[in-house]
Amino acid sequence: MSRRPAIHAAMFLLLGLGAWQLASAGWIHAKALLAQRLIASAWTQARDGGPARRPWPWADMRPVARLTLASRNVDLYVLDNASPRSLAFGPAHVGGTASPGGHGNTVLVAHRDTHFAFLERVEIGDELEFETAYGRRARYRVREVTIVDQGESRVLDEAGEALLTLVTCYPFDAVLPGTRLRYVVIAGRMA
Amino acid sequence: MDGKAAPTRTPTDLVGDMIELVARAFVGGVAAAVAMSLAILALSATAQAATVNEAKTGELLLATQTAGQYTVAPRIATEVAIEVSGMVARTRVTQHFHNPGSEHVEGVYVFPLPERAAVDRLRILIGSRAIEGRIREKGEARRIYSQAKSEGRKAALVEQQRPNLFTNTVAHIGPNERVEVTIEYQQALGYENGEYRMRFPLAVAPRYVPMGESAPIIGPRTRTAEAASGATLINPVDIAVFIDAGVPVASARSSYHEAAFSKAGDGRLVVQLVKAQEEADRDFELTWSLSPANTPRAALFTQSQGSIDYALLMVVPPQPTAAERAAFRAMPREMILVIDTSGSMQGASMEQARAALLMALDTLGPNDRFNVVEFNSVTRPMLPGAVPATSRALADAAAWVRKLKANGGTEMAGALTFALDGRDTPGYLRQVIFVTDGAVGNEDALFKLIQERLGGSRLFTVGIGSAPNGHFMTRAAQFGRGSFTYIGNVNEVNDKMSRLFAKIESPVLRDVKVHWPDGTPVETFPEQVPDLYLGEPVLLAAAARAPLGTVVVTGTSGNKPWSVALTPDADRSAAGVGALWARAKIAAHMDEIARGTALEEVRPKVVKVALEHHLVSAYTSLVAVDVTPTGPMGAIATALVKTSMPHGAANGTDLPQTDTAATLQLLLGLLALLAAGMAAVVGRRAELAGVA
Repeated sequence: MSRRPAIHAAMFLLLGLGAWQLASAGWIHAKALLAQRLIASAWTQARDGGPARRPWPWADMRPVARLTLASRNVDLYVLDNASPRSLAFGPAHVGGTASPGGHGNTVLVAHRDTHFAFLERVEIGDELEFETAYGRRARYRVREVTIVDQGESRVLDEAGEALLTLVTCYPFDAVLPGTRLRYVVIAGRMA
Repeated sequence: MDGKAAPTRTPTDLVGDMIELVARAFVGGVAAAVAMSLAILALSATAQAATVNEAKTGELLLATQTAGQYTVAPRIATEVAIEVSGMVARTRVTQHFHNPGSEHVEGVYVFPLPERAAVDRLRILIGSRAIEGRIREKGEARRIYSQAKSEGRKAALVEQQRPNLFTNTVAHIGPNERVEVTIEYQQALGYENGEYRMRFPLAVAPRYVPMGESAPIIGPRTRTAEAASGATLINPVDIAVFIDAGVPVASARSSYHEAAFSKAGDGRLVVQLVKAQEEADRDFELTWSLSPANTPRAALFTQSQGSIDYALLMVVPPQPTAAERAAFRAMPREMILVIDTSGSMQGASMEQARAALLMALDTLGPNDRFNVVEFNSVTRPMLPGAVPATSRALADAAAWVRKLKANGGTEMAGALTFALDGRDTPGYLRQVIFVTDGAVGNEDALFKLIQERLGGSRLFTVGIGSAPNGHFMTRAAQFGRGSFTYIGNVNEVNDKMSRLFAKIESPVLRDVKVHWPDGTPVETFPEQVPDLYLGEPVLLAAAARAPLGTVVVTGTSGNKPWSVALTPDADRSAAGVGALWARAKIAAHMDEIARGTALEEVRPKVVKVALEHHLVSAYTSLVAVDVTPTGPMGAIATALVKTSMPHGAANGTDLPQTDTAATLQLLLGLLALLAAGMAAVVGRRAELAGVA
């Protein structure tokens, strides 16, 4: 029958398309997971006071802090470059905001479907721990959760106190990328 | 699958099978069509996202202080009136806030202004009552504002976020109420190639940065489509410009917008936008020139304030004759071409950069010397040192450039250290052309490095791609005593690079010095006048503690000394010159931070100048507060008015895009697999039906 080759062709095309899309989706998640493993060893060195090493030779960034939320099983290495490229590998410190663990407003961003997917479950009162270079530790308590427009750069403004601001895209379960909204979690430094 | 039973089937079964087959083929076809269209959708996901998401969120619904509760953001209509007088423009921006909601809200409006705008006035108009804003230290202004807000009084706060980006926060806009906020600023006009140039940054739609490397700007397309369809503008902008040049304007042109030109009764030229604009992809740009007989060669505007005389000085260097230009060109150059090949340059950026470099190689002659350097995580020069630009060497270089690929990190320090060795090559003009997207974080360290190692070289930065770090590159060129060229797309490479090369081929005036009358202590900005290239004027702001007399400007034109004397003209007394000088002084102080001075040292200096001259700066804000409370006490909802982002700065201003296409891809992949499965079943059926 003359239909068969066409059906076969369609089948292989669809198979190919499916495999390609699944692989792309898998690649995003695989990068997110694998990179954090590679970054872990670079971090150990930075924490012990050595020069922060690049996790792999051609990397565009270095780890600068470690963020943990024990109650929700979160353990992430924070990078120093918030470009779209390095966001694939981990949460990043937004340049120009207070340095991690420092005085002022420290802003971190990460993808809503990988590293910062946990923000959806974060509640006011949760405690975050931040470990920075030379093994310094700082604890923060979540005090505010809000949703803003992407243009609201005030989220990045300096503050008179030590704040940790975590930003990711919203809604969390959106299918299409490119939302204008941002989910913002603001935590204040505890003693 | 029950196809195995086919040989024993009855005719009725066969008919049933045929019907099933057709049905499956149909479903399969539909599924395939859906999968295909979704695939197409995925490919254009970035373009779709803007409209889909905006439609979903209604774009003006914004969060209140209680999560999950939304309010309607106030709307804004903006009127811009620009009065041009000689070299100075005074702009009045009036923002009409309207709250269409049912609660008192606080409106936050982020808006761009020209880079060196000296913002010195804020006024709110409620009904017929006008309240003048006062300049205060930033923290204090915020306290005053917050207190007024908590007491239910109307207040407005204008803050500088970046040198070219400001926010206006207005408290207690009542339900269905209108509040008018006026902001005024002063600015010196650009003057180049005999033309005056003035820009007003207009809103630009958000720039989406997908998880990939290239950042397509989808804003203009969707916006224009909306505007064309006659959809109501949410935050319309109307612009009127009044030009008083003192002499007739020979020609005037609006670069990107349709504008109407007319003569007012008093001889002023009036320029108005034909239709109200919103979120155009380009700034409003107006250029005009005077008739050749009236074209200024030099101008000195002064303003006396108390015991201080402020001056704004402009000198247009002599146009070189053909012979002189030939002589300039004969002056051998040593050109070091540096190209950024880091990962962020992948795609279109790399193409533009390569094209720009090849053009640069084309301008070199046999008397010149050159070298090419690429850098990403490491710096890799083509040759260990500069060599004569023989046609053989140039051909090798072109081949080398064509093979360059983008990958790795951005380690700019190494490349700058290599290119700027702090030495002069005697007998050569040393020019470093630095092509990059400027995606670096350690700007200040790099500025310092440029300053320390510049020597006799000149650094020309060329910004590439849709979102280059313009701030970094402008400053780097300033510290490098060169200029910054921005190339937005591949089509512009030719035009922009030719202009750059035409310019740097002939420094028209070097070693420029300004001599003030003896004994007058004068503080000028910039402190050092850079080399002047074809078509560029000397532009200088000065303050003197004594009345200003004759000023002499000297320099070297070609190999000959050149000078011009200027006397302040009482008729040319201009308001706002003092504010421009103060703004330049603030910018100079802010530069000290880049040079390594501690922030704590710079801050009080900036605050002092800004308070004296009533200027908004990084550390001072304008705040206006109503006397009587009109709103509820306590917390009110905050709504961000849809913002206007300057083209090219949007990337730096927006919060980063943090979603990936993973979910979409997962869904599409599963759908496609499902469709493939159906196609397989259909195929198998067809096969079996054939056997039967």
